[in-house]
Amino acid sequence: MKVPYSWIKEFVDIEEDPNIVAERLNETGLETTVEKFGEYIPNLITVRITSVKKHPEKDKLFVCEATDGQKTYQIITGADNVKENQVVILAKEGAVIKGQEIKPVKFGSFESEGMFLSLEELGLEDESEGILLLGEDAPIGVDASKLLNLGEDYIFEVEITPNRGDALSVKGLAREIAAIFNKKRKEINPNVSIGKEKNPQISVETEKVNRYRGIVIENVEVKDSPFEIKLKLIKSGQKPINNVVDITNYILLQEGQPLHAFDLDKIEGQIHVRNAKEGEVFVALDGNEYNLKETDIVIADDKKVLALGGIIGGENSKVDENTKHVLLEAAHFEPSAIRKTAKRLGINTESSYRFERGVDIESLPLAQDKAVELIEKIASGKPVGEKEIYQNVYTPKTIKLREKTTKRVLGENIPKEEACEILNRLEIPTQEVEDGTVSQIPAFRAYDLQREIDLVEEVGRLKGLNNLEETYPAVPTLSYEKPEWYMFEQKTRQFFLDNGLNEVLTYTFVGEEIYNKLGLTPPNLRIVNYILKSQSVMRDNLTVSLIDVLKENLRHQTKDVAVFEISSAFFDDLEEIRAGILVSGKIIDGYRYTKEKTTFSTDLQWDFLKVKGLLLSYLASLGFKDAELQSADLPFLNRYESADIFIDGKNVGFFGKVHPKKAEELKIPKNTYVGELKLKPVSRELQPLEKEDYLFTLYKRRKTPAFQPLPKFPPVKRDLAFEVPEDFEVGKLIHEIKNSCKFAKKVKLFDVYYLGNGKKSVAVSVEFNADDRNLSDEEVNSIVEELIKELEERLDVKLRT
Amino acid sequence: MELKKELEALKGDYEKKFEEINNLQELQKLKAELLGKKGKITQVLKNLKNVPPEERKEIGKLANQIKQFFEDLIKAKEQSIKDKLLEEELKKSQIDITLPPFWIEAGAPHVVKETLKEITDIFVTMGFSVAEGPEVEREEYNFDMLNIPKDHPARDMQDTFFINKEGYVLRTHTSPVQIRTMLTKKPPIAIVAPGRVYRKDADPTHSPMFHQIEGLFVDENVTFKDLKGILKKFLETVFGENISIRLRPSYFPFTEPSVEVDIGCTVCGGEGCRVCKSTGWLEILGAGMVDPNVFEAVGIDTEKYTGFAFGLGIERIAMLKYRIPDIRLLFTNDLRFNTQFKGI
Repeated sequence: MKVPYSWIKEFVDIEEDPNIVAERLNETGLETTVEKFGEYIPNLITVRITSVKKHPEKDKLFVCEATDGQKTYQIITGADNVKENQVVILAKEGAVIKGQEIKPVKFGSFESEGMFLSLEELGLEDESEGILLLGEDAPIGVDASKLLNLGEDYIFEVEITPNRGDALSVKGLAREIAAIFNKKRKEINPNVSIGKEKNPQISVETEKVNRYRGIVIENVEVKDSPFEIKLKLIKSGQKPINNVVDITNYILLQEGQPLHAFDLDKIEGQIHVRNAKEGEVFVALDGNEYNLKETDIVIADDKKVLALGGIIGGENSKVDENTKHVLLEAAHFEPSAIRKTAKRLGINTESSYRFERGVDIESLPLAQDKAVELIEKIASGKPVGEKEIYQNVYTPKTIKLREKTTKRVLGENIPKEEACEILNRLEIPTQEVEDGTVSQIPAFRAYDLQREIDLVEEVGRLKGLNNLEETYPAVPTLSYEKPEWYMFEQKTRQFFLDNGLNEVLTYTFVGEEIYNKLGLTPPNLRIVNYILKSQSVMRDNLTVSLIDVLKENLRHQTKDVAVFEISSAFFDDLEEIRAGILVSGKIIDGYRYTKEKTTFSTDLQWDFLKVKGLLLSYLASLGFKDAELQSADLPFLNRYESADIFIDGKNVGFFGKVHPKKAEELKIPKNTYVGELKLKPVSRELQPLEKEDYLFTLYKRRKTPAFQPLPKFPPVKRDLAFEVPEDFEVGKLIHEIKNSCKFAKKVKLFDVYYLGNGKKSVAVSVEFNADDRNLSDEEVNSIVEELIKELEERLDVKLRT
Repeated sequence: MELKKELEALKGDYEKKFEEINNLQELQKLKAELLGKKGKITQVLKNLKNVPPEERKEIGKLANQIKQFFEDLIKAKEQSIKDKLLEEELKKSQIDITLPPFWIEAGAPHVVKETLKEITDIFVTMGFSVAEGPEVEREEYNFDMLNIPKDHPARDMQDTFFINKEGYVLRTHTSPVQIRTMLTKKPPIAIVAPGRVYRKDADPTHSPMFHQIEGLFVDENVTFKDLKGILKKFLETVFGENISIRLRPSYFPFTEPSVEVDIGCTVCGGEGCRVCKSTGWLEILGAGMVDPNVFEAVGIDTEKYTGFAFGLGIERIAMLKYRIPDIRLLFTNDLRFNTQFKGI
């Protein structure tokens, strides 16, 4: 909201520097900036246009004559809103407009002795249509910069928080400034007498309109507004339209009370203020057609809807230059009803904006009377009748503010005398009582001030919250809970960072396309009002996003990509926090050095075993030493190079190589590996989920390791080579050796080679150890013999000799 | 006394010879020549029997001394030659220490995640616990119970993403974690809630997904001055002891009184610049005393307890701290950007 300082000064005697006023407004809760209203420009003069003719040689140009009362100027202009009798601003020779000095210029055979100015050229608007018309009553032959107060007046731009509807007007701001600077606010009472001969017929048929007052004004002369009104509207960033409409806007800005003027001759029968009928159609002043619902409020006559109550007027009853008689409406609508309708229809007007935030129901007649007075004065209308329905009469709420509450909340003792003084300054009638103060809440703060705490805030903000001396509380020990998940998450992050993966941060919403490309069904959970379709699906895995990260980096020729992210996957009933990884290209891009003093570049590429190593090493770092892998079957992975990860029989994740066909479709390198680990379920209910197939759940349940005595006797090592079928899993052999022989403490694979007959040789080195004695050679021999027998029986293996 | 002379001559002679030797073979040869079975000293000692008994003892002693002298000399010589050889060998295989390393290079943390951690850690060290909640959140927790009723303009303060799950939205702030915490725990409560939040907004300073951290402190006798103290300590920890702080009264539906907290511009130091829009101040967080309506919604006695809450956007802090001009850079995951923040 833009408010000229000069307008505020009409309501409060204040001479402070506008910058100080703005600063104090900020300090007390209204976010305010202040700017000079334009800059003084020399050589501007007001002139009256005396004739307008089309330029005989140049299309689209007009040859005008204008007078400053003494001298006549010939001006050529392209503005098509030039009009005889209008006072306009002329930049004479020597004036500098937007950096250009004005000089006499010839357009064809006509010379222009200057230039008529628009708001844009005055530096008051970003873009203007046509020149600025000051009206017919503006003085001529005067310094136009002075007349407009260019460089003299200041404009406050105030951003109002939703609770401060009361400050959405010149009056409201003046009230706030008066309170801050401890001044008295002035009220200027209108002098009107409204006749009774033509009282309108109005009935209010809905509970959602608290007060409604209509005044019939006859014989209005709809024309341009006088200069004084125009100037205030312009300073406030509004466009003048015609005197009647301008007056309603003027009063809205000044008093904060939205008004609406209907063309009385277009009303058929009486006025009904009612709920809309389901499906009723209404064409608004913005030219749009709206389909109404029962929750909307309309102003209607016997036949049709005239206005969408509190929001926007209708095309069918609008005031224009042919209007003779008007019905001037002032009303008070229920804020939530206005918001519901405005929000649904997507309309935001000055009127709806104010009604949503609460308008002062009690000063409605005052504001309306001020409008009537102006219409009488400048549109020569006669008020000949009125009708008011005030069905929900405002009764001021009484709120007590205890001294101890202020102390309890702010930590500062504010004596009741001071609180009382502050509240009265804010025009909240307040009296001292034994343990505090009692206030009667005026209607202009009805929505904001409803409880004791609201008054604590009023007293606090006026006293200055910034000035309160800080105290340093001790955090209560009793509230402490070890941040286990946070620590687990950080541990996970640190592991992947330390192991060379870069952390990324992706949007949790994706498009359907990536799902289709990966051969996955897109999830159900969607954003309804998405910004981009490609950001509308709530992902149910991290891979869909990590592939995007790879593609983004390939675009920049970054081919070695190793990244991870800890983030959410979404499901109908829960969310999962996962750790996702993607690796592609080289794992190390360095040099190797050998004894022979040769150095050579090496391409250590990511492969299945390295990814397996990374993930199992992570799991081991959490104490999970016996993770098991099983072949995975995911549509986007090469099923011969992918695995599901199990801990204690629970599937906690997967990893593997992207399927070559998918890689080709996605235009990513073939040796790209992805993996995801399920870290933690997040419940949408209040109870936490303790599902078992998540690492954090298993981590919390894992046993504290107990000390195992170190072996007292040295191990005896034996190498064994077996012939096995080519597709035999080495892990099975290692597992079985440990399983079938209690002395086999360590088994290490040291060689695999293919024999060519569908067989391969697998060589392992086994360390045998007894807890209680030295194993003799003979003893080991018989242990090994036993072991081999067992293995050959259970597995498809044969000892190679 | 001839033998004695002979021995002394030998000593002088061979000392010189040994000095000139610089390889192990020659050293062995010379050693044999002097001390071997047929060596010169051995010869001398053989002739000892021809020496008169009164001299024998003296010469024998001398001979042994010389023998010992050379044995020590040879040992030392041998060591020094070996050392020299090793040194030569090492030198031959000298490595070029400027070669690129062969190791996995540690990854870079994401600047937002790291800032989030830094901030969370400050509060954790102060004694706050960490709480979390879902991102697809009940409307009730995200709005209604936070004193943001339907059909109230306060809902416009945050443009909401709606999803196709009745009664749920993408949470627009981390504040619903306050509600979840207060519904499940009794005061005293001291938590922070870091996490992702969503708003329908996208431009150089707004991202549809971003991060916040929320703080909540509820106990008997918690005051606004305590809030000021905690925030001051926190901001000084992040931005340095000399940072200036300003509280401006503002409005949030779930706190009252509410304030916006500004810090003196970290770019221009308060002089006024593009970053602070010439105001000298940067809006950094929102805070206030928990509104009694919120306490009532979760069943906490408003006459017994008071509390404060605060919330801040992580991206904004990271952008200010690391002078990142456009929020979108944080989400492109161009590793040329991400890896700039290694070691922060």
